[in-house]
Amino acid sequence: MIDIYTMGIDVGSTTSKCLILKNGKEITGKSLVGVGAGTSGPERAIQSVLSSSKLELEDLDYIMSTGYGRHTIEIADSEMSELSCHARGAYFQFPNVRTIIDIGGQDAKVLHVGDDGMLVNFAMNDKCSAGTGRFLEVMARALEVNVEELASMSQLSKNNITISSTCTVFAESEVISQLAKNTDRCDIIKGIHRSIASRVGALARRNGVIDDVVMTGGVAKNRGVLHALEEELGHKIYTSELAQYNGALGAALFAYQKLSR
Amino acid sequence: MTDIEILLAQFEEIANNPKKQLEQYISEGKKVIGCYPYYVPEELIYAAGMIPMGLWGKRGNPNKAKEYFAPFYCSLVQMNLEMALNGDLQKLSGVVHTTLCDTLRPSSQNFRVAMDKIPMIFLAHPQNRKPEFGVEYTMAIYSKMLNQLEEIVGRKVSAGDIKEAIKVYNENRQAKREFVKNAGMHPELISAVQRSAVLKSSYFMEKHLHTTMLNELNKMLQASPIEEWHGTRVVTSGIICDNPSFLKILDDNRIAIAADDVAHESRSFRKDAPYNEDPIRSLAVQFADQDQDTILYDPSLNSRPSHIIDLVKNSNAQGVIVLMMTFCDPEEMEYPSLYNALKEAKIPCLKIGYNHQITDFGQARTSLQAFAEVLSMKN
Ligand code: SF4
Repeated sequence: MIDIYTMGIDVGSTTSKCLILKNGKEITGKSLVGVGAGTSGPERAIQSVLSSSKLELEDLDYIMSTGYGRHTIEIADSEMSELSCHARGAYFQFPNVRTIIDIGGQDAKVLHVGDDGMLVNFAMNDKCSAGTGRFLEVMARALEVNVEELASMSQLSKNNITISSTCTVFAESEVISQLAKNTDRCDIIKGIHRSIASRVGALARRNGVIDDVVMTGGVAKNRGVLHALEEELGHKIYTSELAQYNGALGAALFAYQKLSR
Repeated sequence: MTDIEILLAQFEEIANNPKKQLEQYISEGKKVIGCYPYYVPEELIYAAGMIPMGLWGKRGNPNKAKEYFAPFYCSLVQMNLEMALNGDLQKLSGVVHTTLCDTLRPSSQNFRVAMDKIPMIFLAHPQNRKPEFGVEYTMAIYSKMLNQLEEIVGRKVSAGDIKEAIKVYNENRQAKREFVKNAGMHPELISAVQRSAVLKSSYFMEKHLHTTMLNELNKMLQASPIEEWHGTRVVTSGIICDNPSFLKILDDNRIAIAADDVAHESRSFRKDAPYNEDPIRSLAVQFADQDQDTILYDPSLNSRPSHIIDLVKNSNAQGVIVLMMTFCDPEEMEYPSLYNALKEAKIPCLKIGYNHQITDFGQARTSLQAFAEVLSMKN
């Protein structure tokens, strides 16, 4: 049997992700470049995944692009919205998934998946970056810590403090005023995580939260946000190592589906 | 270009250039009256021999108008005053300012203060429009409006003039309702962008001329064979949805507008004025008969949601796109009952924030594409 290779390219606002699937089942390679739409990121991510998979562009049977910059990928055979791709990717990893919370660089979305893994409905955040990866970056900068350190530091928190969940700019000035009061940075970080959870939780409750709940997107790597969301929603939340590649995975799966049709 | 395309291009040219239309009317010695939304009895203006032109804001950011409004005023009202302050309305002979919502009411006073050189006709429709006392009240305010128009034009307007105007407007409403149906049946011939332009142009044209052009278009559409539509069909709902960049996203994703519940579109021409010996009563009864609108008092709260569900069913649509005007209280407050009714009827619904200031519809593009994918997967 001839192997079929499909590629999903997820061009986000702040990162570019690529993933290659063999026969719609086996991941042969994945790549991530820390810049997104309108940069060299997508091209670099494509080259990187091809070389790690030891494949050439010509070996690929179908390429599907998704994400904010999906229209810019000329080599793509077609494109799909990242919402459908996230639904498909999460269903592949967690067949019992019904609710997906995806927090990316500049937006947050909550998706509902049907029994067949198809997107049923969704809610997206409005234009404000509060409750997104960008929000965490702004706060980390104000606190002079790396984004990667936020999760472990929040575990050391001993006191609950509240940070505004409505606006990134207001929240940043609240963080600065907490720092000026010598509030423990770990407490501030936990407050920031709860702030994101409160905002995204409200988005999730718009359409209802149905188990199993899966979290995807770059922010899923931050266990502090994940735990804050579990507390906020009162549901267990699953995630995986592929959280950030979930959109690209879904795109590669849809690409395979196109061929099998 | 086909004959249909030639006609559509003419509608688009007019819809996109209201200033040019205004200049032309002025150069022909005609008087023009600006009309705020909603339910202005334009027939009275037409009967007085003047041209009513719709004032529904324009794309852009308010600058000078910010001095008069808190930031939470809808962009429609803000941009109307912005146009006035920028001198875009200075050639108007008057402006009819309505007061059907809590934004329009204070706006009418701001407009009066800011633009004291443009005669303003204050039109305070009653919310209790159906009982006889409501009809009589509407007749009283319409008569007052007529007196003010007569002052502007410098002559008396006869009952016969108004009856003739009602006939012209009823014909125009009829043609627009026909067009909405035809456009829904022929999305391959009428894009969302073109559909909007055809309807929007009527706000800037003399109605009998709009009707003549539209009847011609309707005839051609009715003569065209119905083709299979390889896309999805939706009902749009909201205050206004005229931004071509937004509508193009619908076209790009093959989302056809099967019918609409948009104030700027179908809500404005659903009801004709019934015949009455007294034409002012005709117009008052027409207003009393209006329903299923967020800005009109509806004691049941349910008539609009069920109207929209019927629209979806009767137009063979698969879902509803709600264009939620930013800071529009009437629309926001009625959304939960609409959302629940659609959910119960298992009709997919997508709510998108909309205003005259948005220039980048990136997020809307993603939502609309995903919505189209959801609808097509359901098939
Ligand atoms: S009904 Fe809404 S959009 Fe219309 S004027 Fe009032 S607040 Fe503005």
